[in-house]
Amino acid sequence: MMLKDVLANKQIVFGALVIIFMFCAAILAPLLARCDPYQLNLSADERLQPPSREHWFGTDDLGRDLFSRMVYGARISLSVGFIAVAIALVIGITLGALAGYHGRWVDNLIMRLVEIMMCFPRFYLILMIIAFLGPSIVYIMVVIGVTSWTGLTRLVRAQFLSLREREFVIAAKALGASDFRIAFRHILPNAFASVLVSITLSLGGAILIESSLSFLGLGVQIPTPSWGNIMSAGRFYIDSAWWLTLFPGIAILITVLSFYLVGDGLRAALDPRLKR
Amino acid sequence: MRQSQPNPHSNNFSLFAGRLLRPLFIIAAFVFLCPLYPALCAERPCGDAYVTASIGDAVNLIPFLASDSTSGSITGLVFNGLTKADKDLDIVGDIAEKWDISEDGTEITFYLKKDVRWHDGAPLTAGDVKFTFEAILDPKNGCPYIANYKDIESVEVIDDFAVRFKYSQPYAPALSKLGVAIVPEHLLRGEDLRISKFKRDPVGCGPYIFRKWNTEQYIILESNKDYFEHRPYIDKHITRIIPDQAVQFLELITGGIDEMTLTPYQYFYRTDTEKFKAHYNRYKYLSRAYTYIGYNLTDPLFRDKRVRKALSYAVDKNEIINGALMGLGEPCTGPFFKKTPYYSAGAEGYAYDPERARLLLFQAGWRDTDGDGVLDKDGRAFKFKLITNQGNKDREDIVTIIQRKWKELGIEADIQIIAWPSFIKEFIDKKNFQAVVLGWTMALDPDCYVVWHSESSKKGGLNFVSYKNEEVDKLIEEGRRTFDNKKRVEAYNRIHEVIAEDAPYTFLYFPYARTAVSKRFRGIEPAAAGIGYNFIDWYVDPGDMRY
Repeated sequence: MMLKDVLANKQIVFGALVIIFMFCAAILAPLLARCDPYQLNLSADERLQPPSREHWFGTDDLGRDLFSRMVYGARISLSVGFIAVAIALVIGITLGALAGYHGRWVDNLIMRLVEIMMCFPRFYLILMIIAFLGPSIVYIMVVIGVTSWTGLTRLVRAQFLSLREREFVIAAKALGASDFRIAFRHILPNAFASVLVSITLSLGGAILIESSLSFLGLGVQIPTPSWGNIMSAGRFYIDSAWWLTLFPGIAILITVLSFYLVGDGLRAALDPRLKR
Repeated sequence: MRQSQPNPHSNNFSLFAGRLLRPLFIIAAFVFLCPLYPALCAERPCGDAYVTASIGDAVNLIPFLASDSTSGSITGLVFNGLTKADKDLDIVGDIAEKWDISEDGTEITFYLKKDVRWHDGAPLTAGDVKFTFEAILDPKNGCPYIANYKDIESVEVIDDFAVRFKYSQPYAPALSKLGVAIVPEHLLRGEDLRISKFKRDPVGCGPYIFRKWNTEQYIILESNKDYFEHRPYIDKHITRIIPDQAVQFLELITGGIDEMTLTPYQYFYRTDTEKFKAHYNRYKYLSRAYTYIGYNLTDPLFRDKRVRKALSYAVDKNEIINGALMGLGEPCTGPFFKKTPYYSAGAEGYAYDPERARLLLFQAGWRDTDGDGVLDKDGRAFKFKLITNQGNKDREDIVTIIQRKWKELGIEADIQIIAWPSFIKEFIDKKNFQAVVLGWTMALDPDCYVVWHSESSKKGGLNFVSYKNEEVDKLIEEGRRTFDNKKRVEAYNRIHEVIAEDAPYTFLYFPYARTAVSKRFRGIEPAAAGIGYNFIDWYVDPGDMRY
């Protein structure tokens, strides 16, 4: 069935394994990290050391163990991604359901709002808001969240538009179910598959935005590690201490790629029209 | 007192060379030196462009209204003052030919050079000088340095090229402070300087003419062929705004810029190679500048002197110098330049002493009552925001190191790195901060009214930490009143000691300037004043010209 389809898809399995691995790393950070990620060591023979047995990923310019910073960075990067997407999800589903189920002027209003939001280049909009509010982890989660709901809204609305005319909805109406119950108990579960695909794709995007913001100095503030700001600090040493940019770069790449692989795989597995 | 006379040693030559030897020597010198120094024989070649980089954009090109370093370096090339500092940091005339000072020290008469012209061709006259100081002293213009001129009673035009300043009382820093750039009356009379177009399109009388300013991108200046000293040999001066030292370095090695300030790492590891040295000269000298942590004294957290002292004792300056600066700095204990007598050796230096810091915090009532690792008092945890500007790697490293040290004592500082324009406008100017890591460049004269006098803590003043101490106020005023350098030294030594004791700043270090300049620029002569003082004498050999 569905689960079998999903598990048969190598793309999904590979992506999910990587994501699970990253999650475990993030959750078990205190156990995995071999050093305190904030512990400075300013002696010359501890700074900018290449990968070695003591420091698997080498040390940074202030003598901190890069591996420890990376696992703690995974916590920040992943949690920013998840919370931002959760916020987008709440806004997106609510507005999408409202527009699709209610229709008429509400639909019109919400869709025009979506179009206005989509007119702004998203990343520059986020940059502008963060520059105005000042960088902090909470703001970043919220700002990424409140600027990422448009795609989801359209998707949910489209699902609702097609599902609300179906027999099971008419049946529910005939039984006297409330609008709220019909929308969230009857229609929404049927839209689950496409929402799930959208979530996985958004997660990758959110992690990428957090990394970009941190790289530009507008994201997670030092000394809290995030993959983006570790890379940013490493750019001063890009030709002499390659490990400072390479490892966080790879981490961002494979994590984002895994989310995209899972999202793409799910779309293929769950959409009957794409089946052979 | 008069302007110094020609160098008395210039005649010593005749004591050693007889009448016969002299012409021979001159011919020999000419023959031998000429191929080596073509510049001595003929005029130096003109042309090419000098491209420099700056982290922050200029703010305002009306010279006396800006306090940021980019605006300062641009206006320094476009405008001239009555006086200037020469390479040995002695005060000499700039557009003033000479000056007289009255017996009691309250009147200074300047005689201006007659061949100085504005870039639009109009002659510079005493009227312009009078106009400039009236504009500085007009409170509605908001000059941050107004306190340096408040004792000027009148500026009197004697004739077109003579102007007399009357002070209400003797004012020792007068000659150095009167070096402020003069602006053209005929273009600014009747303008509101706060909104005048002049601040983005200035007309000066200096060696370079302002051409174009593309916000956050570049500022282009072009040489003034009729400059009264001589035509600058480099035709264009371009300042590119590149808000990141790593990107600046890439631009430097690919030839996009000709000069930059290196990070310590770049200085030791990236530029100490034969390949780099073949194309660039590096200059290293102790800057007349210091970096500090400033505490906003209006914040209840920092009102108690013991707390500020504890924060200072908890910072290991040597660790910062050796760690973040790789040794390229010297510890600083107060607001005067180390190599001057005004800097007191007796001031409290706050050598690293975490035990003492702990004790002071305990005495001030800060302890960890709830066991969360953060000190608290009356229900308030010892947490605050520590801000600094973006793009400066030294400062980013410093805040990380300091935060760690404070954390060991149970003090939680949240770091926030902010881009330069909003950092100055929204946080510093509006006193909207708790603690800040920042630096000051020091003027020649030790007078420090604009930074430390309580009057300067008013809105728009540079005493943004709101430091107030009656004794310091009195000593600053005394230091301005006397021309007796011994008394001034005493006053400033005491100011240094009192400020160090009050610890409104934690003084960190004097950095070494670390500049790399493309080798195609010749004529650079490092001196006490640094390297930029003789920029109009720099030149590029025709074969090396790039632009």
